[in-house]
Amino acid sequence: MAQALSPTTHEEATMSKEQATSTGQGSARTHGIDISSLDRSSEVMRLEDETLSLEVKNLKLYYGEKEALHGINMQIPQKRVTAFIGPSGCGKSTLLRCFNRMNDLVDGCRIDGQILLDGNDIYQRNVEVAELRRRVGMVFQKPNPFPKSIYENVAYGLRIQGINKKRILDETVEWSLRSAALWDEVKDRLNDSALGLSGGQQQRLVIARTVAVRPEVLLLDEPASALDPLSTLKIEELIHELKDDYTIVIVTHNMQQAARVSDYTAFMYMGDLVEFGSTNELFTNPAKKQTEDYITGRYG
Amino acid sequence: MTNEATIKAPDVDFNTPALQRHRKIRAFKDRFAASAIGVGGMSIILAITLIFFYLMYEVVPLFKPASIEQVATYARPGADVATKYLYMEEQGEQALRIAEDGSLVFFNTRNGQLTHTQQLPVPAGVTLKSVTDAGIGSKLLVAGLSDGTALLLQHAYKVTYPNDQRVISPVIEYPFGETPLVLDAAGSALTQVALRDTSDAMLLVAITEAGQLVSAYYTKEENFLSGELTLEQADITLPHLADRVSHLEIAPDLRWLYVGTESGKLDVYDLRDKQAPVLNSHINFASGAVHIETMQLLLGGMSLIVGDSDGNITQLFMVRDSNNQYALTRVRDFTPRASGVSVLAAEQRRKGFLIGDKTGHISIFNATANRQLLTEKVQDSEIKSLIIAPRANYLMFENGRGEFEFWSVDNEHPEVSWSALWGEVWYEGYAEPDYIWQSSSASNDFEPKYSLVPLAFGTIKAAFYAMLIATPLAICGALYTAYFMAPGLRRKVKPSIELMEALPTVILGFLAGLFFAPYMELHLPGVFTWLLIMPLAFVLFGFVWANLPQQIRHLLPDGWMPVILLPLVVLVTWLSFWMSPLVEHWFFGGDMRHWITDELGIGFDQRNALVVGFAMGFAVIPTIFSITEDAVFSVPKHLSYGSLALGATQWQTMIRVVLPTASPGIFSAIMIGMGRAVGETMIVLMATGNTPVMEMNIFEGLRTLSANIAVEMPESEVASTHFRILFLAAFVLFLFTFVVNTVAEYVRQRLRNKYSVI
Repeated sequence: MAQALSPTTHEEATMSKEQATSTGQGSARTHGIDISSLDRSSEVMRLEDETLSLEVKNLKLYYGEKEALHGINMQIPQKRVTAFIGPSGCGKSTLLRCFNRMNDLVDGCRIDGQILLDGNDIYQRNVEVAELRRRVGMVFQKPNPFPKSIYENVAYGLRIQGINKKRILDETVEWSLRSAALWDEVKDRLNDSALGLSGGQQQRLVIARTVAVRPEVLLLDEPASALDPLSTLKIEELIHELKDDYTIVIVTHNMQQAARVSDYTAFMYMGDLVEFGSTNELFTNPAKKQTEDYITGRYG
Repeated sequence: MTNEATIKAPDVDFNTPALQRHRKIRAFKDRFAASAIGVGGMSIILAITLIFFYLMYEVVPLFKPASIEQVATYARPGADVATKYLYMEEQGEQALRIAEDGSLVFFNTRNGQLTHTQQLPVPAGVTLKSVTDAGIGSKLLVAGLSDGTALLLQHAYKVTYPNDQRVISPVIEYPFGETPLVLDAAGSALTQVALRDTSDAMLLVAITEAGQLVSAYYTKEENFLSGELTLEQADITLPHLADRVSHLEIAPDLRWLYVGTESGKLDVYDLRDKQAPVLNSHINFASGAVHIETMQLLLGGMSLIVGDSDGNITQLFMVRDSNNQYALTRVRDFTPRASGVSVLAAEQRRKGFLIGDKTGHISIFNATANRQLLTEKVQDSEIKSLIIAPRANYLMFENGRGEFEFWSVDNEHPEVSWSALWGEVWYEGYAEPDYIWQSSSASNDFEPKYSLVPLAFGTIKAAFYAMLIATPLAICGALYTAYFMAPGLRRKVKPSIELMEALPTVILGFLAGLFFAPYMELHLPGVFTWLLIMPLAFVLFGFVWANLPQQIRHLLPDGWMPVILLPLVVLVTWLSFWMSPLVEHWFFGGDMRHWITDELGIGFDQRNALVVGFAMGFAVIPTIFSITEDAVFSVPKHLSYGSLALGATQWQTMIRVVLPTASPGIFSAIMIGMGRAVGETMIVLMATGNTPVMEMNIFEGLRTLSANIAVEMPESEVASTHFRILFLAAFVLFLFTFVVNTVAEYVRQRLRNKYSVI
């Protein structure tokens, strides 16, 4: 309960702060969220200019008889942060899990349509799922470090690929932990259990672990929802740094977060993709009434 | 938030008397539960401690040293001349003393009052030079007289209960007549005599004053009408020794004659051919001034105890080598006495003996256990005429002042020592020291063999083979069920396997012993073919299945594969046993059992470790399976998802993340399974043949500690050594389980700290 509450409180806190600042500035505030106050670059991003990383074509997903996603079409640009927002149960996490086929593990889950990664359908029969998941890494809502040392957690991805050379492992562990902005905090206790880290550190460790296998795409499933505001901030900064090297797809129910970290935003509702576009555009000038209602907090 | 609280909160009073009472009751329940649980936990610890102490209470007397206590001292009963023979009857109430002058008295052991006096029918002027019995406990005596003749007499005790009082009336009989038998025609005094009486012959050997051997050999003829025995003298020729003979013993079967000479040599003659005895062995005891002081056969007439003037005590017996040749062999030396040995008294019911030495010490020994149970100085001068009662509860000796001393002896369990229980012991009649468990036998003079090693070994062997079969099957099965199997199938499989645990082990043992063991004996090649081709068939089937077109494979939902393996299991089993005679014919010359004994040179028992492995494995599988399955299944999904999301395969995730995380549970599953295999009784009792052999060979039987207790406890005499050793076996089992569980719990805690997820 406490976990669920904290982001809300955080959201409210930010909200009131924004409201306080926006009264001074006034003009840029359009739909509940003051985009300009979020320290974003004002350059306009256009999907047509981007190289595509993932392409979803008429994706339908069924849990048993129930259709959970109704024909999604979407293009996710390379080396950008794409955020999925929408109310609980709208299918944003389900869609995310399709990108690395984690849905295969769900009993009775079936898929129609295509998802192309760099132009190749990942649901083809000859696709090796393990290799796909290495290329499309995923970070879950709840930090899930393995009950191993910090070092072994990061080295795990390499070890399962058969890389056991100490030099390579050492270098990768340091690089990954630095990439996840965790190195300075843990460099003296790499052999301690990862379970001794704080929640925020654990989540960054999990990101480091995912980065270590050099994925092309990073799927973040509400990565900060179980964390305190400070840790959330660190994760968001980290996402900002990582987008230079990775295509990032983040699911969040925190609109502030989506507005803060993403370049593109998809709004989903009841298994449908309602609107998809650049974040600046979607938050300041949504094309659909539903989107506007959601981001202004009329439901959700 | 406050402005939204438009609905008024309902009035709830949390302090009404009813609610206050409820709170009190709630607090009381909480305290009551806490103390009840505490009491329960403490009672369990207390119960286990009590079991521990009860076992200890039964076991500790085994290791108690012996003690002796003076009861009475009185003047020498009867004639004031040298004592030639002393004997105490069964109850230790009356004793017999035969003196040099031929007077024979029975007296009360507690006060020395004479109860019966008699004069032996010896001619005037003739004295008794020596009196011996015909073996330990025999009441047939022979007196060597100073005129070269020997008189045979027998004492007996009639017990009556007039006025409910026990009255023991001794009688003296002369079974072979009152006329002494002539041994030395020359009439030289017989300084020592030895007599053995068997059902069809009697041998008398004596030493003359000149130190030479004289003898008389009689065969017995039974009159088939009257059943009356008549003695017929037969020829016997004894060798003429260069040394003067000082000691003499005859084996009970009249085969061996042990001769000790004054110069300290010990010769053994093979008397099978009475006309031409053969020197079998020759052992030299003497070194310098040392000479043999006393030499006596122990109970059973196999072991010879020799005490020398230097205080050394040695046990020897005839050992048969691989060529079937006997040789007298020094078996063990006992703790030497500080001064020379002067007298030796053998116990009548056990392989124990007492030693009296030149400086007034009495020591109690046990031969098998090689244990000195007691040494006590009872006087300053040499001990003479030491005897022990048949029940080994009293002893009597003549002290330096010519008085008789009567002592009580407390020596309940001399057969037990650390080396007798856990070491190799050279038992009578064995070619070499060995670990043997043989607690009882039909004969009274049997040497009990209480080595716990074969039983501990059998326990470990049975547990080893059971675990060898159960552990991989149960753990692999549990891994598959918990991690790969479809939930629908898992819901059926898990309870079914857990139901196996409810099967009474006596039924498993019964099936294993009476059905499986004989069946397996007949289809031995089938069993091994089955063990060999079953895994191969699985792998092959898996390979074929993986290469089938997708349309066929998708007919079966994920995780339901075990179902299509079932027909394969049936088919392979049928095929293996159908092929059994053929395989036996092709590879094993038509009979695998003969092949095993002849070609491999190892023994084969119908009820063997393989049967136990299967049967007990079957009993242990549900335990290990159930706990392992729970442990693997309870590994949080987010961990395995984390691993899979990093590009690990299912198998890598299983091995590298799920297994380590579940390892504390798997470890305790194995330990609990092993605890069960070690303590399991009924299956091993019924399916092992209970032969306490020490062979790791899978085709031979075994006997476990637990089965041993179950088999022997009902027939062991309460508070006997055997009874207490069975408790010791239970104690060992208890300790074993305790130590293993403690270590297991410690390791499990360590693993849990290392791999705990939350």
